[in-house]
This record gives sequence, C-alpha cells and structure tokens, in this order.
Amino acid sequence: MSCKPFSVDLSQDESGLPHYQPPPCQVACPIGTDVASYVGLIWEGKTSEALEAITATNPLSGVCGRVCDAPCEPACRRAGADGPVAIRALKRHVLDALGHDYRLPPVQPDKAKKVAIIGAGPAGLTAAQDIALAGYHVDLYEAQSRPGGMALWGIPDFRLPQKVVQDDIDRIFSRCPGIALHLNSPLGDNVKLDDLSQSHDAVLLAIGASAGKRLGVPGDDGAHVIDGVTFLNRVNGGERPILPKRVVVIGGGDVAMDACRTALRLPGVEKVIVAYRRGPEEIPARAYELHAAKAEGVEFLYNVAPVSIEENKGGVALKCRKTALGAPGADGRRAFSLVEGSDFDLACGLVIAAVGQKAVSLELARHGLMDGDKIFTRSADMGTRLPKVFAAGDAAFGSSTLVQAMFQGHKAAYYVLAALEGIAHPAPYRTPYRTRNAPVAQDILWEKLAPKEPPFLGLDKRDPFGDAEADYDARTAHEQAARCYRCDTETGSSDYTVKTRESIFALARPEAGPTEIAAITRTRLEKRPDLKPAGPATFDELVFLPANLTRLVIDPYREACKSATDLAGMKLAQPLLIAGFEDAPEAVAAAVAKTVAETGTAYVGRRPLPGLSAPWLQIVSDPVAADPAAAAILLDVGETTVLPRTRPGQLRGLIVTAATLEKGIACALEQRADLVVLDGSGALGAAWADLAGAPDLSILPRAVEQMRAARAEEAFPLIWFGGLRSGSDLAKMLALGASAGLVDVAAGLAAGGAIKPEGVDFTGVEAPEAGPRLAAYLKAATSECSMMARCCGKTNVHNLEPEDLRTLSLRAQAAVGIVMAGRKKIA
Amino acid sequence: MVTLDLAQISVRDANTAMRAAAAQGEDIELVNPDARHHLGVGLVAPVKVTIRGSAGYFCAGLSHGARFEIDSNVGWGVGDSLYDGSVVVGGNASAIAGVALRGGEVVVKGNIGSRAGQVMKAGTLLCCGNASFLAGYMMYGGRIILLGDSGERVGEDMSGGAIYVGGRVQSLGADAKLAEITPEEYADIYAFLAKYGIAFEGGLQKIVNAGSKLRYGVNEPVSRPLSYTVAEEGTYWNAKVAEDIHAKALIGRYRIRGYGAAKAAPHFNDIALKIDPERIHAASDALATVNLKTTLGDRNGAKPLELSMPVLIAPMSYGALSKSTKIALARASKLAGVVENTGEGGMLPEQRAEAGQLIYQCLSGRLGWNIHDMLKADGLEIYISQGAKPGLGGQLMAKKVTKELAAVRGIPEGIDLRSPSRHPDIMGADDLVIKVEEFREATGYAKPISIKMGAGRVRDDIKIAYKDGFDFVQLDGMQGSTGAASTEVLENMGIPTLAAIQEALEGLREIDAGDDMPIVLMGGVKDGVDAVKALALGASAVAMGTAALIAGGCISCMQCHVGNCVVGIATQDPEHEERYKIDVQAKAIARYLEAVRWQIATLTKALGHSDFRQLSRADLVALTPEAAAITGLPYDPDYHPVEHVLTEVA
Repeated sequence: MSCKPFSVDLSQDESGLPHYQPPPCQVACPIGTDVASYVGLIWEGKTSEALEAITATNPLSGVCGRVCDAPCEPACRRAGADGPVAIRALKRHVLDALGHDYRLPPVQPDKAKKVAIIGAGPAGLTAAQDIALAGYHVDLYEAQSRPGGMALWGIPDFRLPQKVVQDDIDRIFSRCPGIALHLNSPLGDNVKLDDLSQSHDAVLLAIGASAGKRLGVPGDDGAHVIDGVTFLNRVNGGERPILPKRVVVIGGGDVAMDACRTALRLPGVEKVIVAYRRGPEEIPARAYELHAAKAEGVEFLYNVAPVSIEENKGGVALKCRKTALGAPGADGRRAFSLVEGSDFDLACGLVIAAVGQKAVSLELARHGLMDGDKIFTRSADMGTRLPKVFAAGDAAFGSSTLVQAMFQGHKAAYYVLAALEGIAHPAPYRTPYRTRNAPVAQDILWEKLAPKEPPFLGLDKRDPFGDAEADYDARTAHEQAARCYRCDTETGSSDYTVKTRESIFALARPEAGPTEIAAITRTRLEKRPDLKPAGPATFDELVFLPANLTRLVIDPYREACKSATDLAGMKLAQPLLIAGFEDAPEAVAAAVAKTVAETGTAYVGRRPLPGLSAPWLQIVSDPVAADPAAAAILLDVGETTVLPRTRPGQLRGLIVTAATLEKGIACALEQRADLVVLDGSGALGAAWADLAGAPDLSILPRAVEQMRAARAEEAFPLIWFGGLRSGSDLAKMLALGASAGLVDVAAGLAAGGAIKPEGVDFTGVEAPEAGPRLAAYLKAATSECSMMARCCGKTNVHNLEPEDLRTLSLRAQAAVGIVMAGRKKIA
Repeated sequence: MVTLDLAQISVRDANTAMRAAAAQGEDIELVNPDARHHLGVGLVAPVKVTIRGSAGYFCAGLSHGARFEIDSNVGWGVGDSLYDGSVVVGGNASAIAGVALRGGEVVVKGNIGSRAGQVMKAGTLLCCGNASFLAGYMMYGGRIILLGDSGERVGEDMSGGAIYVGGRVQSLGADAKLAEITPEEYADIYAFLAKYGIAFEGGLQKIVNAGSKLRYGVNEPVSRPLSYTVAEEGTYWNAKVAEDIHAKALIGRYRIRGYGAAKAAPHFNDIALKIDPERIHAASDALATVNLKTTLGDRNGAKPLELSMPVLIAPMSYGALSKSTKIALARASKLAGVVENTGEGGMLPEQRAEAGQLIYQCLSGRLGWNIHDMLKADGLEIYISQGAKPGLGGQLMAKKVTKELAAVRGIPEGIDLRSPSRHPDIMGADDLVIKVEEFREATGYAKPISIKMGAGRVRDDIKIAYKDGFDFVQLDGMQGSTGAASTEVLENMGIPTLAAIQEALEGLREIDAGDDMPIVLMGGVKDGVDAVKALALGASAVAMGTAALIAGGCISCMQCHVGNCVVGIATQDPEHEERYKIDVQAKAIARYLEAVRWQIATLTKALGHSDFRQLSRADLVALTPEAAAITGLPYDPDYHPVEHVLTEVA
C-alpha cells in the first residue's frame, strides 16, 4: 500500500468544503496542522485521536510540542481577547502522554525509483518521509553521527530533551522502511553529487545552515570567541566545559536565547549578558524565550553593538558602542547607527556570537550551486541550477524555524515526486488543510477560562539540563483546550454561516483592498444551494404572525395564557398527551405513569402504564380487546361499523391516518365519535411510532375541511399525533384545528431515553429522574405553546387559528393550505 | 406672566410660545385649554404653568423642572416621563397617570385611572382618591401613594419601588406582597402630603415586589450550538432535536440564545443579481461616479438624516452590548457617514459624542427615555417589535444591570429587568398617532420620527404606520438577531425579511401611498451584496446589526444571552469587556462599512446604473421557487453570474 501522504496530496485539501473553514491557526501553521481538531479532541479526552491529528502533517511533533515557534498562537483569534489558546503546550501534552510509543504500520516501498537526500535535519527527514510513504526508496545521508540536524544539535536539552527528538525520528524510520540512513556521510568526502545524480532519480539537498557567522569586527576570530551554533552543538554533543565567570552573548534571536541559557547552566559561569543592537521592541527572540532567559537571571543590554574584541589577561575586552534606531528599512526592521563617543568596554571571559548561520559546502560550490551562503533555489519548484537536484531547508532559503523547514521538506517532496512521476507542470504547491470535525467543547467555562502558561521550572542547579518547562496536568490541559473558539466549525445558524462570518471578517481586514473585496464579492454572488431538505413539509416551514399594530400583544407581560384542555369532557391541564413507554423498563414506565397523573394529562397506548391513575386512552385493533378500565377506546382500523364501548361514559374514538382519512372521518361523523386521533406518522399503535419521521401534516387541514363540509366542524375534538418536538410544533397544530397533541418519542427523549435503531433506549436511565424530567419537558412545551399564542395576541392557546400562520415553502403551502409569507393568496 | 388662549392658537403654537416664555423665566397661564393634548410637553425650565380648565393626553409630559397646576381634570399619561418638577391636578386623572416617571412629583387630588405609574422609575405619584386596576404595573422604582382604595391587582409585576395604600387593598398583583412600613417612611410621606396641603393622618399599607418571578430556578446548561447542518442532513429525530428536548427536560422552560432565526428560510441568497456582462466593464470607477447619498425622515418637514450611503446601523442596546461596543459602532458610523441607533437601553453620553447622527429609540419600558436625550438625538424611533422576537418584551438579568447601566436606563442598580411586551400608551393605531404627536410637540417638529417593527402582518401594519405619519419605517424580518430570546420565538415567530419588504410595498400600493414613506429593511443583511438586493426590491435603505458586530470581532457563537461574551461584545462584565479593543474594532467596522460602500457602488454600476435609486426588480431573478413565489420575481434556477464579474474592477 502506498499513496501520497496528505501533506503532498493537494487533491485531499478540504478547505473547499461548505461547512469547514480553515481557522487562522491552521492557516498560520506552515504545515497546516489541524489545530482546531486536536484541541477539540483533547477537550474530549480523545488523546490518541488528537495525536493522529497532530502527527498527520508533522513528522517532528514531539519536537514541535517543545520548541515550535508556534506562529499559530499569535494568529489565534482569542489572542485579541484574553490571550491565545496554548496550542504548542497542548501539543506537548499529547506527545508527552503518547508520543514515546506511538508508531504507525510500516509502508514498504513498492516503486523502483530512488531519491537521495542530503541532510537528516527537519527538512530532510520530512521530505524523506513523504517520498518514502509514496513508495520510493530514499537514501538519507547525514554528516553527523546521529540524525536530527538542528533539532538535535542546535537546541539545548533543557528545552528539548534528546529523547524527544529520538522518539520522533524512530517513528519516522519504523514507519518508512524504505529510508536507508547513512550516518557520518558528509557531502563531498565519500558522497559525491555527481555519483548521486547517476545512482538516484532525484537528489534533494537539505544540508542546513550550521556554520555560525562571524561578528565581522576586529578580533572576532580570537580564542575567546565562539559562534552560537558551534557552542550549542558541542554542549549538545555532551561536553560540559568550565566557562569563565562572565559570558557575553551577542545577538537577539533564538540561537542567542538558547546560547545564553545554556551558558548559564555550565560550570564556572556567574553572569551571562546578552547584548543586542536594537531595542527591546525589536528583539526577534520569542517573548516566551526572552521571558525564560530573564527569569533564569540572564541580563540584557539593548542598543549595543560590538566594535572590536581585544584580548586581555585571560579574557577579552569587548569594545561596544551604543546604537540609535532610525526608520524601518525595506525588510521592516529599523535601521540603526552607531552613536559616536558612546564607547564602553564589556569585560568578559567568553564571547558567544549568535548573529546568524550560513550554509557551507565546497562540494556544492564546486558545482556552482551556491549563491553566497545559500544554495541557489527556485521557490517556485524547489529546483536548483542542476536538473533533478532540489534543495530545501535553511541551506536553501536561509535560517528559519523548525516548522518552516518542515514546510520546505513537504514542498520539496511534492516537486520531487512530481519529477519522479513525470509531471512536467505540477500545480503550485500550497499547504493542504484538513479537518477531523471534532465536536465543539461544551464547557460551561469556555468564555471565562484564562490562558495559562505551562509551569516554568527554570534553572535547577542540581540538574541544569533538565526540563525548564513542565507539561500541563490533565485538568489544565482540558481547561486550556476548552478555550478554543473553534473558528473551523460551522455555526449554529444557516443564515450566519461560518463562510459568511469569514467573508465579513475578510471585508473588515486592514489589508482588504479592491482586489480582495472584489474576490469576496464574486464569491458572494455565486449561486447557493437550495437549503431546503428533501421530503415532506415539516413544522419548520410554518411560522406565526405576531401581533404588532393591527392586533394587540396581550398584557400582562409574564402571565401565561390559558392552556387547559377539554377533550369530550375529559379535562386536561394542558393540550399534550403522552404515548409510548409500553416497552420501556418497568421502573421508567411507572415513573412516567406517575408524572402523567401529576401533570394532569393522559396516556394513550395499547396497555396502561403500571400504576397509571390518569386517564388511559386505549388503542385497540379489535373491538373485543376494549378494556372497561380505559377512559376512551381508540380503534385504529380507520373505519368500522360500530365504535366499541365497554361501559356507559367510556369515550369512543378512532385513529385515522393519511390512508384512512376520508373514510375514517366519515365514519367518526356517522358514529358520533367522541374524539379522533389524526396520526400523521401512520404508525401509531406500534412502539415509538414517531420514529417514522416527518409526519404528513396535510391530514389535519383535510380532516377539518371534511368536517366543515359536513357542517360538523365542532363534532369531535381532534388529537394530533406525529412529529411533535416542541410547544411550537404543538401550537401550529392547534392553530390548524387540533385540540391537543400526542407525543411519544419526544416524551421518551425527555424521560432520558436515547434513540437507537430498535427504538427509544433507556439503558442507564435512573427511573426516579425520568418522571421529573418528563414533567419539566411538558411544562416547557406548554409554556412554549402559550408563548406562541401570546405573541399572536391570544389569551388561550385554543384561540390560535389558521390565520395566525404562514408557510415558508410551496410544499408546506400545498400541504396545509396556508398561504406563504409575503403572498396575499395561494396562487 | 404670559397668558396664552387656546381658543385663539393651536397647541403647537402654544407650546412654542410656552418654551419662549419659559426661556425668559416667565410664568405661564393657559386659558380655554379645552382638554387639548400635549399641553406643556417638553418644557424644560423652572417656571410655573397654570392651566385654567382640563387638559388632554400627556399634559406636562416629557418636561423637566416646571411646576404645573391644572385646575380640573387631565387625560391619560399626565406627567409622562417627567424628569423633575411637579404636576398638581385639581380633579381626576385618566389612565397611566405618572407613566414612566423618572423623577418629580405628580399629585392628583381626585381619582386616577388604571395602570397609574406604569414603568415609573423614580419620583412620587400621589392620588388622593381611589385608583383603578393595575396601579404600579411593572414599576421599576419611585413611590406611589394612594390615599383611597388601591384597585385590583395593585403592584402587578413591579420590580422596584413601593406603593402605599391608605384605603383598601382590593387585590395584590402577581409577584407583589405587603411589607412593613418604617416610622421614617411615615414621616416622609406625611411631610410630602403636608407640602401639598393634604390632610391625612391615617395608616397605610405598603406593597413591594415579592421577588417570586425574578429568577429562573435552574440555569440552562451552556451549550455551544451544534452545526445547523445537523438538523438538515440528519433524520427527523436528529441530534439537535434530542439535545433540545434533553435540555428542556432539565430546565422546565423554553431555551434562550442570541442571534436570529437559524433555520433555512427564503432569503437574499435565494435571489441573484442579474448583471449583464455588457455593462460591467465600467464599474471600476463606481465609487466616484455612482450616487449613494440619500436622506431619510423629511416626510413631515423634519430635518432629515443625511446618509453617505443607504445603510444604517441597526438598533442594538447598551445592555445587550457592552459600552465599548456601542462606542465602537458609534465611531465607525461617523467615519462612514451613516446613522447609529441607541436601541432600547437609553443614550450613552459617549455614544452621543462619538456618533455623527444618532437615532434614539423609545421602548415599552421607557428605559433611559428622557427629554434631554430626545433633544440631543437626530431622530426618534418608536419600537413596536423586532424581527427576532416580535410580541415579546426584553429581559436583562441583574448581573448585567450594573451601576452605570442602571443610571443610563433610570432604574435601580442590580434589579432583574423586565420590559413589557407593549407600550403603556400605545394600545392601537389611534394611540400611536397621539404618541407621535407628543414627541413632535416635545421636540419642536424638528426630528424625524420612525417606527421599528418586526415583520408579522406587515401588509396591514404598514398602512397604520403610513397613516400615523411616521417619517420612515425600520422593518425587521425574522432573520434579524437579538441578544437573547426564546429559541422557539426566534425560529417560529414572524416572517422572513424578503416577505416583509414584499408585503410592505404591496400594502402601501394598496392604499396608493406612493413612495413618500421610506422603508429601511433589516434582518440578515450581511453586506453590500444583500444591500443591493434589498434596495432593488424596493427598500430605501438597509440596516445592519449582526454583520457590523461580526466585522467588529463577533464569532457567531450565539451565546450572547449568557453575558460572558468571549470577545467582550455582549457582556457587562468588566473583565470580559476589557477584551474588546474599541479603537481596533471601530476601525474594523469602519473598514467593513467602506467595503459595503464599494460593493453597493460597484454592483449598482455593474447593473448599469449611476444612482442606487435606479436599482429595481428588473435587476433580480429568483433562484428558488419560494423566493419567486414570495417576491414575484422571475424564477430562473439556472441563473449564474457571469464568470468574470468584477474581475476588471479590482
């Protein structure tokens, strides 16, 4: 099995899906990490699924959980409110829990072609994995004794334990047996570009930029000067040299931060000073690293530039000058100038120059591939000056971040694979986006929870190279995950959808000029799908007309209007009866029976519920089954010659469906029935009949019409069954002429049940809770029903009338004979 | 002393003359009042006004500081929204005496009609005789002293203040109870009576709010909404339905959320703009060449609102929204040259200062309603209902009723605030016309008066609005949003925005009204594309609320009602409001409005016009049978826009 991995398969990009919006964090991530999903999955406690989401595009997830510069976090929308979601630290939480043992099944190479990759750093490893997963053989050459590149050699252990790097790398190699790793194989000695070009179908140069730049001032090559990368490499290689008391680090980037904190941990050091040539506003180091360095005791000198380094008795005098900042230059950074006469000396024993890195390769220079201290590389296709030779990573585009290197690894792999497969003009690479549709965290505190940094441990003298930062505990991780806005998810509104929201955001962005506005406008002009779902008209396609000026809204404000209901002399407190529950567990059925009595309603079913003291309306198919204990007998055959009655005073009724409507109503009129149940589901009498789905609403107006035609509109009350979910649904049927409604599935859900293929399931439902919950639902539904009536200016729910309704669709208009909103009459 | 004879001059002239005299510090005498309405309304000077006879509706209404004495009887609404000062009625007063008092003293020597002191907030209403039913109905503060009998259901749904009854308490209203009176209260009341020369030394019974209906027993569990698609893709009994029923089974009442109707209903997306490819090439200079300027509100000679484009900010209250949000909206509206609206919550000084033009909305609870802010406003608006929850009043829980908010609304701090579902003095069309007249009298006929209506029986309602002389109508469809409403009302009450404009225009045509009463359409207008469709359908302008909030950072989580808005918009919690950066968001909203302007201009031009008023139904086709049926537009489901629309203009 082999196919292109997601990161290099643009066809799998999901950003075009109608209900998914790649969120700002994902867009800011060079490798398109599905942040929103993994954060959502962490909240749910689905850590292994979160791990899958994290690792899918990120071969160095463990590394990133520790040291990614996390461009996602400043992009997080919550950054503008009370602080971004702790995306990186949450990633670490997952990797700490599961990263060590996480392995995916190996993907064996199944293609003949071979690729040589030079450099097993982040870019090289990423590309190697992508290419191997696509089925090709990869020879991965590494100059050092261990793979990992800057991740292994350039980042000190207290930030990134080597074991974490090793876990990531082990995961890559166990998954990709097609990668052959060649250690201690620097380009140039035994590994020649000419040979590789012959032996392999493509070559990818990912040699990194591991040579530190010099300060460029007199004395910068002295014995007391070392560049930051070399310094870090040696310490990471296991050296623990005794350093002089005072160390000065020159520079303000991430290497400078790592170098100063590393120096502080080495024996002999008493003071570490970072000298940076611009001000605290301009320093490029991440705020978190800066904060950590300060917290550990590193001192910072701003607006200082070295002018020369002079040796003096066992140390150096670092000659410095103050700087003054000018206007921002073309690169956005402010220019600086040296202030004459501001010279001063900094005495120290060691100067660490962390002022940038460069790529160095005589072999590549010999082939004319270098362009200064970088490999000449076209960003359009990652190609170099030689055919089939590609480049990526810091060697190609200058030193950058880990996640940028991985992006370049993916991108290079994409073009390498295109070349292997003979695609001359591949579509330009762009990071594909995917969602795992994790549910939104239903956390009651999501709006309130404050951002929390992971615990900062700092420098522990007993274990100077131990973790400087701890993992969240499980609870904190859960809380921090709850904070996510979930910008990726569809909203709850079909009107203000996620795409609509993003389009409004886009119009309000500072960078939105006419080009962007025109593009957004074009998208908005595109045709939208008709959102109306298929099937029959539902209650959702009916609306009420509120009282405004032409009818009065009733006062008083909070008094419910009346909802007492009289069904052929049977007095109910509300126009809602209960069915179902015959197959429910005995205890639940008994609890429901009690609630039916206490709430003043009635029960409809073939058998009474255990202990039922409220009226029971018995459903029978055969008149002989009629039970004298029932308050009413409801014959479900549609028509009959005689409506049964077992005793005087027992109500006689009929259940009619769409199939039996006309004959049933005629029969009921002829037999002078006491009541009629209109069954829109067509299944009443079977268990949980409402699961039949959307009811046929048309039978109610048709029944009313038939009764009206017979001049017998008030002959008997109509009880509606079918699809009732809320008091609003009920109110609509009352307006269309019903006297009451009947619910089974809704009541089952209210009592705590869950819908399963075989019916409503009460597994795990505590019977003592079922009754009060059903009572609460009945109360809510009745209050909703009366709220509809009040808004229409009615003081009694039974005063609702067809004139209070309008339809929202042609099919609803046809089904219930109510004119559509906005129209004067049915055309 | 100036004497004015109402047998000789009109009420309007009399009120003008009274203001002029009062400005000079002259006391005033009105003779032959003949029970005319609106006598002395809007008078804001500490002069004495003597009315020799009986006055009609709203005598001394909306005044501040004057001392009125009426020899005989008054019609309803005496002392309406009085800020301070006094009104002494020698005879009887009709219904809603002292309605919406914000201070001052109203003394009626005889009996008073029903609903005395309705929604009053401060001050004293004294009746020496008997009261009719529902005295103190929904009062928020202040005191009512009834020396005679209380009438039925006294103190119904009051939430603050006290009612003292010297005679019989005929029956207590809902949520009212009897309470002890302290000696200090007695002393204070007796002193008040003595000041007006009323001899009374009897005992009193005190009625206060019982607090039984102010709070919900169980809080609704917070639930961020499931995707709306759950309801559409799933089965009838889908996860959303189950979640809804489960929640109601926990709380025993309807659920609440923010935003508008969430279900799919015919809307602007179901209509396409019929852009002719032959006409779009010249659209790139649209901003410079297409006229978007318009005015609103001079139908009756008032100074109109001047709009740089046919867009307004929809009414949204300080209360539902944080003060910071209201300031940002005001600032953005000024930058864009459009009109901001106070919504229900009264006028914030900062909002007034920031907004270029501001409509001041008057709601049923008269929260924050006063003559001074009326005079500062550029337009006045009577709210009848809104698209999100037509037929219901608003609600603001005590947590949101902060000290500052209470001061702006004129109510006690920290009460659970309920707004009535209808105005105390608007029972129908005839009352409404008198109310409009009161506002015109109080503000010298200088300000446009609009009506805000949620869409229900629009075809009929619009005729009343027209005949009652409104300068324009703000019409809100069911897609309009709110900070909190019952989900059932949001989804099931009212008609879609498309249907609303259609019915409104047809209704006006049926009475040959011509086009002199503009309609501002709102309810789900998201940008310039929707605006152009609305304008082409016949709206004179559109208003945007939710879209402006989104432009200013709202993430559409629909949890506005909780009050902990994560971005600081729908909250009064200082920690949450701090998250909202006024300057950043004001600029974002302003940029959004400029993008809307670009869209309206460009699309208008692309449709071949040079003025947005040339947009017409001929520029539209319907994409769904429903949209075609509602609007009467040609049904063309296969219509799709020209591929290169707007490519050249960028």
